[in-house]
Amino acid sequence: MISQTDDDIRLTEETDIPVIPVQPYHRPHVLQQVRGPLSPQLIELNDDTVIVGRSSEAQIRVPSSALSRTHMRIERYQGGYRAIDLDSSNGVYLNQIRINSAVLRDGDTIQLGNAVFIYHEGK
Amino acid sequence: MAFLVRFWGTRGSIPTPGRTTNRYGGNTSCVEVCIDEALFICDGGTGLRELGIDLMKRGSQSIVAHLLFSHMHWDHIQGFPFFVPAYIPSNTFYIYGTSPGDRRFHNLLSGQMRSDYFPVDFSELNADIRAVDLGNADRVIDGVRVRCMEQCHPGTSYAYSFEKGGRKVVYATDNEIDMTLPDAKAVQADLAAPRKIPDDLVAFVRDADLLIVDGQYTDEQYFPKHVGWGHPRATTAVDLAVQAGARQLAIYHHDPMQSDIQIDMKIAACRSRVQAFGSSLFVFAAREGIELRIDQ
Repeated sequence: MISQTDDDIRLTEETDIPVIPVQPYHRPHVLQQVRGPLSPQLIELNDDTVIVGRSSEAQIRVPSSALSRTHMRIERYQGGYRAIDLDSSNGVYLNQIRINSAVLRDGDTIQLGNAVFIYHEGK
Repeated sequence: MAFLVRFWGTRGSIPTPGRTTNRYGGNTSCVEVCIDEALFICDGGTGLRELGIDLMKRGSQSIVAHLLFSHMHWDHIQGFPFFVPAYIPSNTFYIYGTSPGDRRFHNLLSGQMRSDYFPVDFSELNADIRAVDLGNADRVIDGVRVRCMEQCHPGTSYAYSFEKGGRKVVYATDNEIDMTLPDAKAVQADLAAPRKIPDDLVAFVRDADLLIVDGQYTDEQYFPKHVGWGHPRATTAVDLAVQAGARQLAIYHHDPMQSDIQIDMKIAACRSRVQAFGSSLFVFAAREGIELRIDQ
């Protein structure tokens, strides 16, 4: 049997180590277009709302007749984004599901006509 | 006509927050069905809390909603005490029993707010909360035909269907369909073979545009360990949807032990089964935060 005495216990000595301030790493939310006109491209999402469509007024413009003029809105929601179908003709598909709206999660695939995007959550 | 379905909680049994369940969500059962001006809430699991927050943001001066519960197990009622609109005097909520004069669900909901369980008593909720019933399991509410059907679950549970304008959504959770199969032994002997679903359930689901159904277990999980626990194989839900001619199938009430990746695998098995049947049914995993438009 091993006994332990006070002499065996070594306490960590107090030191004067300053706490080093750390700059948190910030990575923006990103839409990565992987298929369709103008792909491939990476689009950082910084605005509160972003319109995707074939109109020149859309912030993310996809010149394709398969998309409506204003096809989808992306808007900030609970620290991330959600996607909303703007009554488009061909719909918004999230991971193959036709949705009216959806809160986006990292790795989601969003298809509008012949354009396909992958959503990457920032931090 | 606007016919929308929103998923607020898709997990079964117990909330499962965490990184591995982030995509499909960790809140327990709660689905919102909006048909024109009519608002139906199916189950009050922890997802009901977020629905309540969202309802408050929509800016309505008075919220009127019809609450339909599959049953009263914890994962279907725990969100109710945290449902903020229930505390607002101008709002009205109808809590439905499933037969004439049935007040069980209203009474059990209020019972879970006794001081032993929760600091705020049901009587302190300021909204007008009324116990009503579905009559003989078939009633028109705000222009929507609502029907219910008893299911196979410990203590029983109920499925609901919502129909208007030729569109139909069925909410059928906590139903161990496998226990009701007339040829259960043959099913276990050959899991790939079609499973004959009871006629009454097929008729209830018939031609649904969307079937939201309990698909808690994979084939491997279900037998023999979880037989009798009140939940089916997801693949049996596929057979129900195919035999009833449903258009879309949302596998719901995910097992708390299943990660997002495991749910993906469960859905892949369901899709293989659909393909083997030569069906056009679309199967997906119910997921928090998605809204589907049924009238398209």
